[in-house]
Amino acid sequence: MITAKVGKAAPDFGAPAYKEGAFTSVQLSDYVKKGWTLLCFYPGDFTYV
Amino acid sequence: MAAVAARYDELQALGVDVISVSVDSIFTHKMWNDHELTKMVDGGIPWMMATDSAGNVGKVYGVYDEDSGVELRGRFIIDPDGVIQAAEIMTPPVGRNLDETIRQIQAFQLVRETGGAEATPAEWQPGKPTLKPGPELVGQVWKVWKPE
Repeated sequence: MITAKVGKAAPDFGAPAYKEGAFTSVQLSDYVKKGWTLLCFYPGDFTYV
Repeated sequence: MAAVAARYDELQALGVDVISVSVDSIFTHKMWNDHELTKMVDGGIPWMMATDSAGNVGKVYGVYDEDSGVELRGRFIIDPDGVIQAAEIMTPPVGRNLDETIRQIQAFQLVRETGGAEATPAEWQPGKPTLKPGPELVGQVWKVWKPE
């Protein structure tokens, strides 16, 4: 399995997504073509922090 | 995520877009955005809220916690070549610091714009002096930089 490492290419992924009222999908490589990307993981919706 | 949304305009001005990822379904994302986040930030979350229900993306990025079945709090700065320039991974109880995230983005953008001719010393902030790495700087950093 390819794993993410600082200084190396970010592993591409696609996933279902929600954005501004629409159910859609997201592909990381589409973002990389357009500029900088801030990829944020978090423990869960409705969690406190 | 509301803290990131509050700085989204600033991120966009720097040419940065955001993708957020958790194991929650797109339906839960919608409920959270519409019923809570919109009360924290005008308009709610303006970016793709991705679903990683099996943790497959999180496993690749080293943030999926098998024991709890959720993602840790991870943040990756990816440049326009698709290279990860910075990563931060924290356990859930401590929140992010967007000032530091934005500072790092600005620093990596400066390095990129100068083609690596300039580097940013510790505690660097936009507008502060940078370092010009080269043989003449060896042993001479004290002349141009010291901790404040």
